[in-house]
Amino acid sequence: MTEEGKQAVAKARAILENYKGKKLRIMEVCGTHTHAIFKAGLRQLMPENVELISGPGCPVCVTPADFIDEAVWLATEKNAVITTFGDLVRVPGSEMSLAGARSEGADIVPVYTPIDAVEYAKTHPDREVVFLSVGFETTTPSACLAVQRAEKAGLKNFSILTANKTMDEAYRALKDSVDAYIYPGHVCAIVGTRLTEELTGEGISGVVAGFTPSELVTAAATLVELCSKSDEPFFRNCYPRVVTRDGSTAAKKLVEKYMEPADAVWRGLGIIPKSGMVLRDEYAAFDARKKFSVPSFKAKNPPGCRCGEILQGKCKPTDCPLFGKTCTPEHPVGACMVSQEGTCAAYYQYGGVV
Amino acid sequence: MEEKVMLVHGGGGKQTSELIHEVFAKRFRNLYLTEDDAAILPPPASNIAFTTDGFIVSPWKFPGGNIGKLSICGTVNDISCMGARPKYLSCAFVIEEGFPVKSLEEIADAMALTAREAGVSIVAGDTKVAGHGQVDGVFITTTGIGERLPGAHPSGKSARPGDAVIVSGDVGRHGCTILLARGEYGIDAEVTSDCAPLWGMASSVFDVCRDVHVLRDATRGGVGTVLHEIAGQSGVGIRLDASAVPVDPAVAGVCGMLGLEPLYLACEGRLVIFVPKEDAEAVVAELKKSPYGENAAVIGEVTPDEPGRVVMTTELGTQTVLPPPGGELLPRIC
Repeated sequence: MTEEGKQAVAKARAILENYKGKKLRIMEVCGTHTHAIFKAGLRQLMPENVELISGPGCPVCVTPADFIDEAVWLATEKNAVITTFGDLVRVPGSEMSLAGARSEGADIVPVYTPIDAVEYAKTHPDREVVFLSVGFETTTPSACLAVQRAEKAGLKNFSILTANKTMDEAYRALKDSVDAYIYPGHVCAIVGTRLTEELTGEGISGVVAGFTPSELVTAAATLVELCSKSDEPFFRNCYPRVVTRDGSTAAKKLVEKYMEPADAVWRGLGIIPKSGMVLRDEYAAFDARKKFSVPSFKAKNPPGCRCGEILQGKCKPTDCPLFGKTCTPEHPVGACMVSQEGTCAAYYQYGGVV
Repeated sequence: MEEKVMLVHGGGGKQTSELIHEVFAKRFRNLYLTEDDAAILPPPASNIAFTTDGFIVSPWKFPGGNIGKLSICGTVNDISCMGARPKYLSCAFVIEEGFPVKSLEEIADAMALTAREAGVSIVAGDTKVAGHGQVDGVFITTTGIGERLPGAHPSGKSARPGDAVIVSGDVGRHGCTILLARGEYGIDAEVTSDCAPLWGMASSVFDVCRDVHVLRDATRGGVGTVLHEIAGQSGVGIRLDASAVPVDPAVAGVCGMLGLEPLYLACEGRLVIFVPKEDAEAVVAELKKSPYGENAAVIGEVTPDEPGRVVMTTELGTQTVLPPPGGELLPRIC
């Protein structure tokens, strides 16, 4: 670490050590933050009356079981090749996971990017190829890019099953359970900070944070200091080397062209109006739900699993009766244990030392 | 000689012997490599170390080496880590029909060069050809014999509280190189594999420390996996200083982008060494003399508490655990 960095860390630590104000609940809403906070041992530096909680920040974790059921249906009933980020393969649906479907003969192909899925469709013209489009503002542009590529190539055998989400409505939905947010650095890099600045008008506070240990401790200290100064809602960008006011105009334009907001189901949070992104009607040919008339599924969550409450910061993974017993990274019951970014997976991996 | 390997090259006839002679034998030439069915070797001066390893890396060529160099280093390093001087190797090839003979020569060149550097003789071999699609390019298995240094007794069970934990160089380079060479992530970075034969370096450690407790080469699972194994086998805790772990800036950058931990990326030329604390300085100084050891460093120590766990002191001065290795390591890394 540079001298400057060391000084910043020392200053931040002093602010945290000297905090004697009211009890605070701070929520991070980004899976990468969840991990980075464990890796940095940040909780050890937090004052006793400041609680760091993990919110709905992992795209796999907030994806409801119904979505897995839809994907399994496409693979088994429509014989479609399902292309997907690897994390989704082991998420349990109500009957089976995609891994389960694969063991019964379905074609499930993990890909690194949506573009890989388009390439797969090009080289397999005799098969219907569906890409499972999950993710937040960071991933959605690449799904749109994939549709654009498929459109330009005149592909008739490629479509996406959307479960894309935006964070702004989630900030609003959870505002009563937290005092302030640590806003996700990567999401803000895409969308910019105008929205989070405006949220102060609705009484919502937070700071944008980066991902290194010194960036995290600096953001946490800034947040605690602002909370102790006044009760006014606030916003600060503590990640200015990456995050700007306007974000990425190109990415936003691309998404705007192909997608529009729609109501979306979040695991544990239920339906949040206008918090999802779906393809616009003119691109219906690339929308797997429309193309294959996918029936609607109403999946039940596994009994005992508290992923829903964990995603809202209402309880910790260690409060769940299944955690570490029947639910482990090798045999996950809930989505929060499947993805590496999931809160339960992070608690399990770093078990004991927080 | 044809331009591509054909099924007939594995048939045992004239073409087989031509391939063996033109590509392999003339490069590997030494006193013990004959046209007879087995090598006849002089009796060892001490106990022997004996091991075998298979290599299926994809792609077969990568910045810093190829599957041939890797196949020599892998077995030489396993023998070296038992405190034994590598002496003799055998190598068996399974080659895919259609594999370019020129590429095979490139592989054999790398094997000959690396064997010479490591001081081993390739004394026996076998060549088989499999139909197109039955193997991917070329697979190599090497088996080796080494003579153990008198008094050397390193073992994964021998870590003791008070030991210093040393790595012989920056971590995660081979894994990162292969990952980039596959081009699946569309990331470009200047990273070269650390693939190297380590007997020179290993023997120098025994020169300056009479009581080397543990000596391992970090391969597939990286340094992190080795540390977890040793903590378990020896029933001790390991405390790392995160800021002391040497990582190449390009490797750190790639890991940051992909969310990977450099301690869990494969190495092919790195020793993990546990010695009594008082010998640590001399060992690091000796390692730094080697062309492969300029970034050698003490990265932590062995503690009696928390047996089986690897704990890290972060750059914030807080404590965190190094999570145990996950199940999804990159396939076909070596």
